Amino acid sequence: MKTKKVLVVDDSKLLHRMFEMMLRGFPLVHAFDGREALDRLAEHKDVELILLDINMPRMNGLEFLTAVKAHPEFARIPVVIITTEGTEDDTERGMQAGAAAYVKKPFRNEELLGVINRLTASPAA
Amino acid sequence: MAAPEQLPPRVGSALDELRATIDRAAELAREIEARPPEAGDLSARLADVESDREELSTKLAEYEQQVGRLMNLYVATYQLHATLDPSEVQATIAEIAINLLGAERFVLLFWKNDARDSSGECEIAFAQGMEDDQTGLYPNGIYGGGDPAVDATLSDGVLRIGPIDGSKALACVPLTVQGATVGALVILKLFDHKAMLRAEDRDLLDLIAAHAASALFAARVYSNTDRKLKTLESLVALVRRQ
Repeated sequence: MKTKKVLVVDDSKLLHRMFEMMLRGFPLVHAFDGREALDRLAEHKDVELILLDINMPRMNGLEFLTAVKAHPEFARIPVVIITTEGTEDDTERGMQAGAAAYVKKPFRNEELLGVINRLTASPAA
Repeated sequence: MAAPEQLPPRVGSALDELRATIDRAAELAREIEARPPEAGDLSARLADVESDREELSTKLAEYEQQVGRLMNLYVATYQLHATLDPSEVQATIAEIAINLLGAERFVLLFWKNDARDSSGECEIAFAQGMEDDQTGLYPNGIYGGGDPAVDATLSDGVLRIGPIDGSKALACVPLTVQGATVGALVILKLFDHKAMLRAEDRDLLDLIAAHAASALFAARVYSNTDRKLKTLESLVALVRRQ
């Protein structure tokens, strides 16, 4: 089975390290804010899933998500928002912006893995 | 109709075969009738297998959760000791509190130099979500005492998890180096979507108690030493030029 490349966008080094542990079967690309993430996407056009934090410096997650969904080449990539912003309004805003799933921090690893497996297994991914 | 014994030998033989077949069929029918207990046994065994499968499935889910917990602990420990920059260690403590524990409002306290013997004040090395703090206990980057749980933890180095009578803290985590309590992480509020600290959070709190202060202490010592070394190197270079 082809291994899908995942872009991790989060300003926490701890989370990047955790995703490296959790997603050992996936090649990861790392970015620490939205602007850097856009640069990484331009370099890695074969990214097939994005894990995205919301609160980040320079360009936040929602701004990045809006930019990705407006981009003809990247709009197809499913985006999982992973954030401490946990209200219903936050969730609705994220889903309306085009997120495929919304996971609240702190998350259980098996919960997030379930979402990732679902999105990477679907033909759309 | 002729009697069987008067039939030609081939027909008689065929009838014998037929009788034998009927006898065999009757025997099979009896065997089939005798089978229900065996089938019942199979059903019982199937139920056992199904029960085992469910038990294994439950155990697998438990193991997955356990692996998740261990992974969190490993990553937190790794990250705490991955740097010798004090500000990065503090940032890691904050990241653990926010991302792994779900703390929305917390302070990281350290005794001021020799404060245990004099002013009894702690400096707030890091604070999160304290802009609208109503307790009034943490003004201007200083904690001067007043919360019984925090004071007790700073005094005896025991981890306390709330609710605690008279305290606003949900958790008071002692920060210890070689058995001495040098400060505390005080969690005052969790995110709304995290109802309470869970059993597995206790492991993380224990980890912070054991590792955070030593990691920060080592980073501060390194930082001070590095700064002094650079000053000395500059002086030596200056003297050599003269």
